Amino acid sequence: MSTRALPLALAGAGLFVAALDAYVVVTLLPAMIGDVGLTIERLEQATPIVSGFLAGYVVAMPLLGAFSDVRGRVPVYAACVAVFAVGSAITATAGLWPFAGLPWLVAGRFVQGLGGGGLVPLALALAADLYAGRARTLALGAVAGLQEAGSVLGPLYGATVAAAAAGLGGWRFVFWLNLGLALACGAGLVLASGTSTAPPRAALASIDWTGAVLLAAGLGLLVLALYPDDPERRATNALFVPAGIASLVALGAYGWRQLRHLEPLIPHALLRTRAFAGAMLANVVIGAALIVALVDVPLLGRLVFNLSQLDSGLLLTQFLIGVPVGAVVGGVIASRVANPVVAALGIAISAAAFLQMSGWRADELSLHVGPLRQADLALAGCGLGFGLVIAPLTAAVLALTRGQTHGLAASLVVLARTLGMLVGLSALTAFGLHRFHQILGTPVLTDPDLRSRVKHLEQLVAAAFLQEYREIFMIAAGLCALAAAVIVIAFSGRETMAAPGTRRAS
Amino acid sequence: MKRLTACLAAVVLVACGGDSAPPNAARILRDGAAAMAQLRTVSATLKLTKGTITLQGFTLVGARTSVRLPADSDTVYTVKEQDVTIGLEVVIAGGHVFLHVPFSTFQELTGRQASTFPDMARLFDPSTGLPAVIPAGTAPKYVSTDQLDGKAAYQVSTTYTPEQVHSLLAELSSSGPVAARVWVGVSDHLIRKAVLDGPFGDLGHEAAVQVDITNFNGAVSITSPSP
Repeated sequence: MSTRALPLALAGAGLFVAALDAYVVVTLLPAMIGDVGLTIERLEQATPIVSGFLAGYVVAMPLLGAFSDVRGRVPVYAACVAVFAVGSAITATAGLWPFAGLPWLVAGRFVQGLGGGGLVPLALALAADLYAGRARTLALGAVAGLQEAGSVLGPLYGATVAAAAAGLGGWRFVFWLNLGLALACGAGLVLASGTSTAPPRAALASIDWTGAVLLAAGLGLLVLALYPDDPERRATNALFVPAGIASLVALGAYGWRQLRHLEPLIPHALLRTRAFAGAMLANVVIGAALIVALVDVPLLGRLVFNLSQLDSGLLLTQFLIGVPVGAVVGGVIASRVANPVVAALGIAISAAAFLQMSGWRADELSLHVGPLRQADLALAGCGLGFGLVIAPLTAAVLALTRGQTHGLAASLVVLARTLGMLVGLSALTAFGLHRFHQILGTPVLTDPDLRSRVKHLEQLVAAAFLQEYREIFMIAAGLCALAAAVIVIAFSGRETMAAPGTRRAS
Repeated sequence: MKRLTACLAAVVLVACGGDSAPPNAARILRDGAAAMAQLRTVSATLKLTKGTITLQGFTLVGARTSVRLPADSDTVYTVKEQDVTIGLEVVIAGGHVFLHVPFSTFQELTGRQASTFPDMARLFDPSTGLPAVIPAGTAPKYVSTDQLDGKAAYQVSTTYTPEQVHSLLAELSSSGPVAARVWVGVSDHLIRKAVLDGPFGDLGHEAAVQVDITNFNGAVSITSPSP
């Protein structure tokens, strides 16, 4: 392996491990919440276990690229890996002591997200440092691809590792394992980088702590506004309006600050283009739809189809196969058809798949089309659609930017999608749990013994969850359709809509 | 003169060493029982720390109870089915037993159904519960003086027979003697914590439970829920 490829491979491996952890908890949630003393009827309190990581991820992502310009990529990368490892250790120890309850677990996930989120711009910047020209675009694509692959593989990875390590702490082992992986990637990068990476540049930029505080406050308030504290009675909590307004103010101040006062992380010229803004918006919406597949499908497997932890993760297999297949197919088609067209086509396929899923039944897993399960076909189609859209949409954004800002552009794409995931997760959880309680009502159970009552209740709960998830899949279909429309409008009339062979030379 | 000095030194040593004599363990348990017999209200949490105990087909994780003596209690049993944790609330008030399964309404249980849940008030009953059983432990031994929630408590080790354990809670059936460590408040003599370790798990396997007792004569609210 070349002196440039090895550091990038190690940086990418660390990013992949961190991205895995974004949704690694989805299949592990029932066991995790039980171990911190929560019972299943307080499922809403588990939301921050996922959203806490995403919030940390989103906060760290825009900050550390510029910081590493001053301090050097490798030291900052190693620091981020260390923070990720500390967060993993905190998460792994949740529930072991009386004081290490849910807040401890959420704090661990947030710290994990901070470390993991920082790795995104650092790995992208490292790729841009190490390579130039066409090789740089390929390297950036590979790093972005690892981030995406880690995200979608997380639920299955978590279920598989926890099942294999049942005697070694189950879900805790998933997080203990991160310590070894983080050490290998961080130390390996430090040792392998030597003089092959670019030295720190002159101190042209420094970390924007005010911006970081504003972004963290804005996202934290947003998650708080959308937190369903009492889903039995209301979809959001009493602080929805004030926290929502405060969130908008903080996020608005962050945006204003970036645009007006500081050396902007986002170049003004780039922001002014309809295509760039549209691509960012489409990524936010796609993130909100993607989170439905990654989080709600495994939960549906557990709560409705009564699958085991491992099997609920495996339910996503077809989706996970669909994503890379879609990416490859997208790449092939994109050589003949313009990236935005492929992206719009892809997200339309995901919309159709979600539409089919919105009609799923309790016995869906027994329904077959020929030798194949109907549900697997829908999930494969959904994954195929996301695979088709993610790479071409990123490529379309890169095509709008100059080579030296490809790292920033790719980072912004991931940021937009992760932001969409965070907002989508928070909003859809609030909606979903409220709908669940509305549908379930307060059943009267008069079965002769406790076992029968619980069995009866399980059936009622499964039916309510099924209806809730049908509605969420319908919303996801709508989000996909919206994203397709945004892509078409954003790129219509531009040369980027034309096939590559017909593009104007620039 | 030397003899006088030696005698004085011996007197001083005996006087200083008088405080280091270990407290009487049997006395500590008796005092604890007497103090517990005076309670009107109390809260407790029970945590299974070893082995498996099955409650009506579900694996018991722990329980949290508030008791108003002589017979009222509000208890949330935390149980597991596969890896899903469920809270089952049982309210015993005015001789009626009510069960709350998650998401559903409270339902009154009658007859055999009602008797299948442990009556946590019995745990503190002066004639059959902790006050009666605690002093009856065999070979009690003072272990140490510990701090529990900022209060000094004597730790005493002892052993109970299966019959004595069964008397505490009818649902606990042990196939052999149960080792116990009991923490009794130094100043108020209240029993603050107990750890039982013995063959009272499923199929007579080894199990251990830790009981933390709080809110002595504090406010508790136990009302008959309307189904």
